[in-house]
Amino acid sequence: MSNPLSVRLLLFLLGSIGLITLPHAWHIPPLLFGFFMLMLIWRLLGIWQPKYLPNRIGVFVLMLSGIGLLYTQQHAVFGRDAGTGLFVVALGLKLLEIHGKRDVYVIVYLAFIVAATQFLYEESILMALYILLVCGVLLATLITQNSQAPQTLAALKTSATIILQSLPLALVLFVLFPRLEAPRWSWLDDENHAKSGLSNTLEPGAIAELSLSPELVFRVKFDGDLPPPSQLYWRGPVYANTDGVRWKAPPDLGRENNPDQPVFEGQAYDYTLMMEPQRQRWVFALDMSTQFPTGLRRNGLYQLITNKNPGDRAEYRISSSPAYNTGDISKTERRESLQLPDKPSEKTLELVKQLQGNQTKPEAFIGNLLQYFRQENFHYTLSPEPMPDRPIETFLFERRAGFCSHYATAFVYLLRVAEIPARVVGGYQGGQLNHLGGFLEIRQANAHAWAEAWLEGRGWVRFDPTAAIAPERVEQGVNVDLQIASGAVNFSRVQLDAETLSWLQRSRQLWQSIDYNWQRWIINYDTVNQRAFLQSLGIDNFVKLGYCLLASIGLIGGLLAWRLLRPGRRRSDPALRLYRQFCRKLSKAGIDIAVGDGPNTLAERAKSLRPDLAEQIERITAIFVRLRYESLAQANDLQALKTLIAGLRV
Amino acid sequence: MSETALSLTQRFKLSRFIRGEAPAAGPVTLNQRRVFILPTRRGLFFVLLILLLLLIGFVYNNNLAYLLGFLLASIFFVTILHSFKSLAGLVVQPGRQQAVFAGQAGPFNFQIANPSSQPRFALALALQTELSLSLAAEQSQTVTLYQVTQRRGWQLPDTLTISSAYPLGLFRAWAPLRFDSPLLVYPKPASQLLPFPESDGGQGKQGQNRRNGDEFYGLRAYQQGDAIRQIHWKAFAKGQGVHSKQYSGASTSELWLDFQSAPGHQLEERLSQLCRWVVDAEQAGLRYGLILPSQRLPPNNGAGHYRQCLQALALF
Repeated sequence: MSNPLSVRLLLFLLGSIGLITLPHAWHIPPLLFGFFMLMLIWRLLGIWQPKYLPNRIGVFVLMLSGIGLLYTQQHAVFGRDAGTGLFVVALGLKLLEIHGKRDVYVIVYLAFIVAATQFLYEESILMALYILLVCGVLLATLITQNSQAPQTLAALKTSATIILQSLPLALVLFVLFPRLEAPRWSWLDDENHAKSGLSNTLEPGAIAELSLSPELVFRVKFDGDLPPPSQLYWRGPVYANTDGVRWKAPPDLGRENNPDQPVFEGQAYDYTLMMEPQRQRWVFALDMSTQFPTGLRRNGLYQLITNKNPGDRAEYRISSSPAYNTGDISKTERRESLQLPDKPSEKTLELVKQLQGNQTKPEAFIGNLLQYFRQENFHYTLSPEPMPDRPIETFLFERRAGFCSHYATAFVYLLRVAEIPARVVGGYQGGQLNHLGGFLEIRQANAHAWAEAWLEGRGWVRFDPTAAIAPERVEQGVNVDLQIASGAVNFSRVQLDAETLSWLQRSRQLWQSIDYNWQRWIINYDTVNQRAFLQSLGIDNFVKLGYCLLASIGLIGGLLAWRLLRPGRRRSDPALRLYRQFCRKLSKAGIDIAVGDGPNTLAERAKSLRPDLAEQIERITAIFVRLRYESLAQANDLQALKTLIAGLRV
Repeated sequence: MSETALSLTQRFKLSRFIRGEAPAAGPVTLNQRRVFILPTRRGLFFVLLILLLLLIGFVYNNNLAYLLGFLLASIFFVTILHSFKSLAGLVVQPGRQQAVFAGQAGPFNFQIANPSSQPRFALALALQTELSLSLAAEQSQTVTLYQVTQRRGWQLPDTLTISSAYPLGLFRAWAPLRFDSPLLVYPKPASQLLPFPESDGGQGKQGQNRRNGDEFYGLRAYQQGDAIRQIHWKAFAKGQGVHSKQYSGASTSELWLDFQSAPGHQLEERLSQLCRWVVDAEQAGLRYGLILPSQRLPPNNGAGHYRQCLQALALF
């Protein structure tokens, strides 16, 4: 409008807008992102070829098509995806009409909102750093806008300075600003953001290859010593019902059907468990949990269930005791735990009879069964052949190769045939210790299935038939890195030697440790954490909090003001500095300044001694006198003085 | 320069924020007493933006959105200091002013110096006209700003406002300054062209009665003090040297411009007419004297005399 915007400003602006939107390429529908990119490139070319920019009508048509695209690509009006799409499209359209300063501000402000929406998709350190950098470029755009002079680098430097000066206060606000628990509005939630994890059903025969996903499920930090690996069973779904092929968890998570409360004995472990966002509501506590926060409850299947949205990352303080006695079993539970789809085959009955021998004690049967797994030609493999028909019998009598689900389901099936109440339990086993952070990382690859049998006087007892055939699976736990690297699963074809691997592992552990703390202290800092943290500082009510906020803002502001505004050490007068240089040159020629000599006196003496330099000396002295003793010096005087003195040859 | 302390009522007088303090004669250093800062409209929208980001953080329980909001809030806060820094320490002083005729835009000179080692960007200086400039470290610059003059006499500059929106445009820092550096305003020359007065100043010599005597008298070598109008450009163009045209009576007769004989019923009309005559007489290269009821300037010509006469009229 009034003053055209400089090319540099436009480049700055378009560059930062491109950067801020880039990560959304993975989040918003490709068509919407393409639309945005089209606008951006169009505007970019318009810098040099303004006549090809769309006119008013063109922009209006584009706006209509943008709205149309939004409508077809997104089926909601509110919510994360719809909102993000809306802002990105609006940003793209706004780019086409940059006329004056006002538009630059509108665009930069929109860009900050788009930056915030990135965090709704990804909360990693890298994303935060990236957004921080782009914010620096956005601020540099504003600086370029508001100063006529500075170059690109100077603007970036100033914006970096401002951000660095702002960070401490931002962190203090982050810690102290009262956090309110927002209600979860269902209309803001997006659907179909399924996360992988354990499912409600288990179908061992169908899975050909177990995926060893390194995706993190949860992290656990123990207060004291770690339990031995053989006790690291993290309890999840309980599969009690089977149709012979699939095993299902009871749909009702809230049931309370155990008459007896479990009795715990021995050592209890206290730990902090941080769940990554999940699809299901299980909290994978160490078997078996004794104490847990109020947001959780333990149901009749001894699972820990969260009532809140499992899609949020959450942290819990839990105590578990590995030694327990669950007591008696109810009639319904017994019936459920003996349920079989149809009559077992002759072969199965024969095997059961053979394993029972002449003993009737369940313990003896279980011992024989585990012995059977160990002695017969059973194998542990991560990639068994599919067994779609009668998977249990195929596994028991033909293939004899499988992984945990095969063993656990076959085990439970045989126990039920032998009239021993039993069920399959899913969850995770083991975990990898991060030495730097001192916490266990449990990944999808740690997913495991084991069995539970109800024994008179002991209650539900855990048996892990996989341990019978592949004890190292349980004793040492799965090393996800090793399994991936050794080619057990083809995530990468690179063969790594042990040294590189350990180096890689170390740096990965360091990174994981940083990430854990990032998740714990930044991402997961919520009302509960805040209250605990503030209480540890002695701040227990809002009045104190208010004082504390004001005091820290005042303190930081005061420090910054002192740092920024103290009168900078004045450099010595530049004219005087130059004049001293002049005096040195003169003294080299044998003309020394005497006490009480003014510039004119010195000049006179110098002129008489060196008539050849008279003119130069006179000019230098005149300019110096003007600079130093007269109020109205010329702007270029200093430069002239510098040139003259530099040119003086004595 | 030591500034006098302000009393509390003076300190909170509204005029300080808009008009500035009492006019200063010497240089003024911009410090916390002189510089005021308020958010701009863009700054207020920035606050809205911050609130929106905090709302996103609240609705989605997203700590990083909160953090971004806090960062922007903190940037907003820090920018106040930067805004102050963009003006603090500058030294402004008035320069010498050149007189103008009433009705013209009066030029006011100011020297603005940046004694610090930090460059200053996008300073806006406003009187009635506005000017934008940047100052490198330890640089000073003289600027001329204009202000319409209406009445003859001494005229003080209005409030000089130095402002800056650097670095982010969220805040405007401004310093209203008034200086005791008056500009001399001559009366407005009458638009009507009247013949010079016949009457003399009591010395008995006949004055020139037409503006440019028609009677061309001859050429003589250019002498210092001859009006540019008198130069015979044609001869100069032919390479014949610089000659002044002489009109009959111009060199011999003296023109007396008398307040009493000036036409007009009102003081200002008369002064205005006298002013016009002075201008015309100077342009014509005449020798002219001025008689005011309180003052008498003997005939003469040249720039110094011209200024003296106009000043006498301006301050009458």
